[in-house]
Amino acid sequence: MTLFITFVISGLGVGAAYALVGSGFVIVHRVTHVVNFAQGTYAVLAGMLASRLITTGTPHGVGELLAVLVAGAAGLGVGAVVLARRDTPPFVALLITLGLVFVGLAINILLFGQNPAPSVPLLSGSVDILGATTEWQRLLVVPIALVVFGILGLFFERTDVGRAMTATASNRRAAQLVGINYRRMGLAAFAIGGLLGGIAGVLIAPSQQISPYADIPLAISGFTAAVFGNLSSPWLTLLGGLFLGVVGQLLQGYGVGSFQTQVSLILMLVILIVRARALNAQEEAK
Amino acid sequence: MNLIARVRARSPYPQIVAVTIVALVVPLVLPELTFYMQLLMSAIVVVGLSLFMGYAGQAALGQGAFVAVGALTVGVFTVQWHLPPLLALVCAPIFAAAVAALIGWPLLRLRGHYLAFGTIAILLLVQALMGVIPLFGRGIGINGIPPLIVLPIEDAQTRNSLLKLIYVVIAVVLLVVALILSHRVVSSRFGRGIRALAGSESAAASAGVPVLGSKLHVFVLAAVFAGLVGALGAFYFPFINPESFPPDQSFEYVIMAVVGGVGTLWGGLVGAIAVGILLKLLNVLATLPEMPAVMGPTLQYAGYGLVLVLVLVFMPKGLVPTITAAWERRSAARSVASKDPAVVSAPEE
Repeated sequence: MTLFITFVISGLGVGAAYALVGSGFVIVHRVTHVVNFAQGTYAVLAGMLASRLITTGTPHGVGELLAVLVAGAAGLGVGAVVLARRDTPPFVALLITLGLVFVGLAINILLFGQNPAPSVPLLSGSVDILGATTEWQRLLVVPIALVVFGILGLFFERTDVGRAMTATASNRRAAQLVGINYRRMGLAAFAIGGLLGGIAGVLIAPSQQISPYADIPLAISGFTAAVFGNLSSPWLTLLGGLFLGVVGQLLQGYGVGSFQTQVSLILMLVILIVRARALNAQEEAK
Repeated sequence: MNLIARVRARSPYPQIVAVTIVALVVPLVLPELTFYMQLLMSAIVVVGLSLFMGYAGQAALGQGAFVAVGALTVGVFTVQWHLPPLLALVCAPIFAAAVAALIGWPLLRLRGHYLAFGTIAILLLVQALMGVIPLFGRGIGINGIPPLIVLPIEDAQTRNSLLKLIYVVIAVVLLVVALILSHRVVSSRFGRGIRALAGSESAAASAGVPVLGSKLHVFVLAAVFAGLVGALGAFYFPFINPESFPPDQSFEYVIMAVVGGVGTLWGGLVGAIAVGILLKLLNVLATLPEMPAVMGPTLQYAGYGLVLVLVLVFMPKGLVPTITAAWERRSAARSVASKDPAVVSAPEE
């Protein structure tokens, strides 16, 4: 039982990070209809940069914050390239982000080498929960993710920029007619995606071994979480991410093997196939 | 529109014959066939994929799944069950088609990128199964796949190199068949249906084109090509293991298709050659002995990524349509200058 709780708790931590990566997919996709493969690359960049900054003397907090901001800037850069032309079809945009993943991988390897970054937890020590000993760092991910999701919700409902982005997401042409700059909204979405990926990376880097090659696996798990949210709902993405993290950690914990990515994928296929039926039924009903 | 109609009307068969001759002469002068074989294999997969992507407007990012199914069919039939190699070669595309139909049936109904990730899922699942199921080699892979044809030659080295040449020739034949089939599909009644799909799905549907059925047909056809390539690769190398089908390679197929230009007859082939040679050059550069350890992979990924991004941003339609359009503009301008409209419709040769 203790073991079970340990796995569930560490699964929630991993899952919250997937949810953060996944919500980046959701926000970019809602506004621009682009699936941004680089979502996992931001996490690697920020995670490894934070570790580098802190091991070289930057105080905790400042190092993490800087790393997240750099990830946000990277997101803005990706957005600028992807949105450089108006008439890019969606799957070409997907491939442009894939090309940028390779460029990002090259930059990450050049800056940090090919090995996982040394772990520098923001919170050290551990705590007993129902008999299971858990590191504070793993626990930290879930509340921070909840706070971030709360802030996102407020941003989209209460601020002008956020509302303009929501308007662009629901009807681009109408939004443009009332004077909303689509390109600027798209860039903002990409930058937020970068920040979210960066937060995920900074939070999980100390407890997960993050190397430059973690980029695409992270992106796939994040995308699966986003599929739970139909690529449009951040809160469902959060649920999806948590579920995914827990199932993966349980399988790995009970010795079935490390199949985190495969678990994500099977779940994604099941959801897609089930939803395909539901969508069809809807269309036939019309 | 007039220009496009004229380009389509021009028969591609002279070019196909020329390509066939070149493709058959090249292996006779090459000292080593493996890279050429890989290029041919990619080209066949990409010709099918390009056809699918051009008309369904969706990317299949895990086309390697069907290559893997074809290769597994050969491995299991010949090594595990001791069935005749030819039977395995015939069954490989059938199984690939079946898997494609199974995954395409639900996922092709969804718009957007769902199929892309659905096919990646299938690929990674096939890899995971190859890692755990004994029949599929359980991580070690399947080794010692017998040759497709038993050659009555004593000397092992001569026999092997002749065998490899035969596989290359089969691959060339397959490529030509894939090109001709693509051309026939596009210019048939069915092809007009899927061309309409590329324009507007709902318009095509209201004109009586079966939307899902048409997409599924092209998807399955692309999987058949991929399955055959997998089978041929299994005979050529002659082993398979989970690492034989990395996701990066499947991404490469899509990249080749888009760089060449999806939905064009020659886009797949041109893209496969261009990207294949670029990757080979970067690989040679990265593995130079004087290259520092970190610079190798950095150079490889940065080169690949940058070229990809530049081509996609500046030529989102791909090399073939962009070059064709430039060529058309030039000859149109020249004919306007000479005030002779007949020149426009004359073939370029």
